[in-house]
This record gives sequence, C-alpha cells and structure tokens, in this order.
Amino acid sequence: MIKMIGSLSILSGAVFLFSAGLGLVRMPDAFTRIQAGTKATTLGNILIVIGLAFYHPEWTPKLTLVILFVLMTNPISSHALSRAAHRIRTPMAPATVTDALADDETTGGSGGAA
Amino acid sequence: MIYRVGVLVTITLIALIFGRLAGSYTERSALRPLAEHYVSQAPFELGVSNIVTGILIAYRGFDTLGEVAVLFMVAATIGLLLGNDDGGAREAGMNRRRPAGEIVMTGSQVLLPVILTFGAYVIVNGHLSAGGGFQGGAIVASGAMLLLLADPAAQLNAAALSMIESVAGLLYVAIGILGLIMAGGFLDPRFLPPGEAGAFISAGAIPLVSALLGIKVGAELSVIINRFSR
Repeated sequence: MIKMIGSLSILSGAVFLFSAGLGLVRMPDAFTRIQAGTKATTLGNILIVIGLAFYHPEWTPKLTLVILFVLMTNPISSHALSRAAHRIRTPMAPATVTDALADDETTGGSGGAA
Repeated sequence: MIYRVGVLVTITLIALIFGRLAGSYTERSALRPLAEHYVSQAPFELGVSNIVTGILIAYRGFDTLGEVAVLFMVAATIGLLLGNDDGGAREAGMNRRRPAGEIVMTGSQVLLPVILTFGAYVIVNGHLSAGGGFQGGAIVASGAMLLLLADPAAQLNAAALSMIESVAGLLYVAIGILGLIMAGGFLDPRFLPPGEAGAFISAGAIPLVSALLGIKVGAELSVIINRFSR
C-alpha cells in the first residue's frame, strides 16, 4: 500500500516532468519556455523524491535536503537566466501583453515585483 | 559514384568489425584475476572500504601525483596566458557587468556554505563511499564559480589560494616520502595504522592524501575560474 502511494507520486512527478518537456517544445519564446521548464521540473522533481521517500523511509533526512536544494536552486537559476535574457533583449512572443520588468526599470524601481 | 562506393565499403567494414565484436561478447560472471586480487586484498592490505579510492591513492598513487601535476601545469599555463592584461581590461569588465539582483545575491549567499560543506563531505568520505579529493575539489570550485558569477565585484585572494595549493602539493609529496621511509614504498599509505575498514578514521594515510588532493584541486580550479572571470 505504501509502495503504491510512492509509485503514484513518482508517476505524477514523471507526468509533470513530461509536461515540462512538452512546454519546452510548444511554448513560443524563451521566457515562456523558462517558465514552463522551471515550474514543472521543480514540482516533478519534488514529487519523485517524495515517492522515493515512501520506498526508502530511512533516506528521508537526505531526501528532505535534496528537496530543499531543488527548491532553492531551480527557481533562482531560472530567475537569473530570464533576467539575463531580458537584459540582452531576447525577443518576446507577439502575444506578450505586459513587461513588468521594463516598466519597473523605466519608473526607477528596484525590481522584484510581478 | 566512387564516393558512394567508398562510403558503402567503409560502412560494411565497420559493421563487420563491430558485428564480430558484439557477436563474440559474453557477459563475464566472475572477476578477472587482477580485479579479483584487488577486490579481495585491498580491504585487508589497506583497510579501505572503497576499493576504487584505494587503487587510486595507494596502488596507483604515483599516477595520481602525475594527474595533480598535469592540473598544476594547466593552472600555471592559464595564469601565464591570461595574467598579462590585468589592469585596464579588468576595470572595463567590472563596468560592463552590472551586479546581480537581490534574489540571486541572497540565493548564492545561502547556497555557498551548503555547497562548500557538501564538497568537504565528499572529500573526507573518499575512503568510505563514492567521492574523493578530485570530485570534492571540483564541488568546492563550483562554489567559487557561483560566488564569482553572482557577484561580479567579488575577488578571490589568488595569492593565498596559490599558497594553499603549493603547501598541499608539498605535503602530498612529503606523505609519499614518509611512506618510502616507514612503509613499503613511495606513496605507500600504510605507515599509519589501517584501523577498522568502514570507520571514519581508517585506511592509513589515505584520508589524509584525499583531503590534501581535495584542497589542492579545489584551490587550483578556483584560481583558474578566477583568472577567467576577469
């Protein structure tokens, strides 16, 4: 029963990772691709690690550290990547409505909103 | 035409060679005699539970010393090639790169101690589990790289790093000579008691050599990264 829950968690994690890959193929520009990749891989990795914790309960402390590491690194690195892409004026998809970072920089804000 | 025939002949030859190789492949169920010797004797001779580290540092210690020397030559050459334009180019580079945002700075400050701790863990557990000096040193250097990437104004103390690296190399050779005097030969780690295989303090001088390797590789790679970041 416990292994069943673990397997379901790993399977749903794999579904999220697949949707991340699909997003990389289907999304129109760099920013939306980064968005799809980051969110789905963060959740997918965490679900898979949680599934592993059901299989090997004695690994739980180490797996918690792994989850914390993924939670720290994945969003921050994607944030840095997309900031860099914005800074070198990577073209956005034609459907883009708003650019909060550019608005923020023109009004002299320090960034971080939206 | 001739081109196509040539391509066809080449492909057929390659297929023949690899087909024969694949056809005559049988999975080995027992170890080769040499591997058998290492696997059965290394825990007793050296008291090391990670046989790969035992081979790397004890049986092939001279080879590892050579690898470290190669890395040292690489660092020295990069320093020679990139070290000349120190003054003006560096100032221009600092102006070109704006500082990273708050999120990246905070993230790197939180992650850097974690990465360095993990590197130290990998270095000192080389004789027990997967890892060792080279791998742990590379992890430590990746921490230095994160620091330099996140904060363009950060400066590593290159002189101190070079000093640490040289001292670690000297101590490594000194341990090798100690092995020559007190045990079976150059870089023989058995001049310290082997202890109990699997304990943290065990395997003679192997953990010492592993730690020195880690310090040396980490410092060397950090110096290289520091050179490139200017």
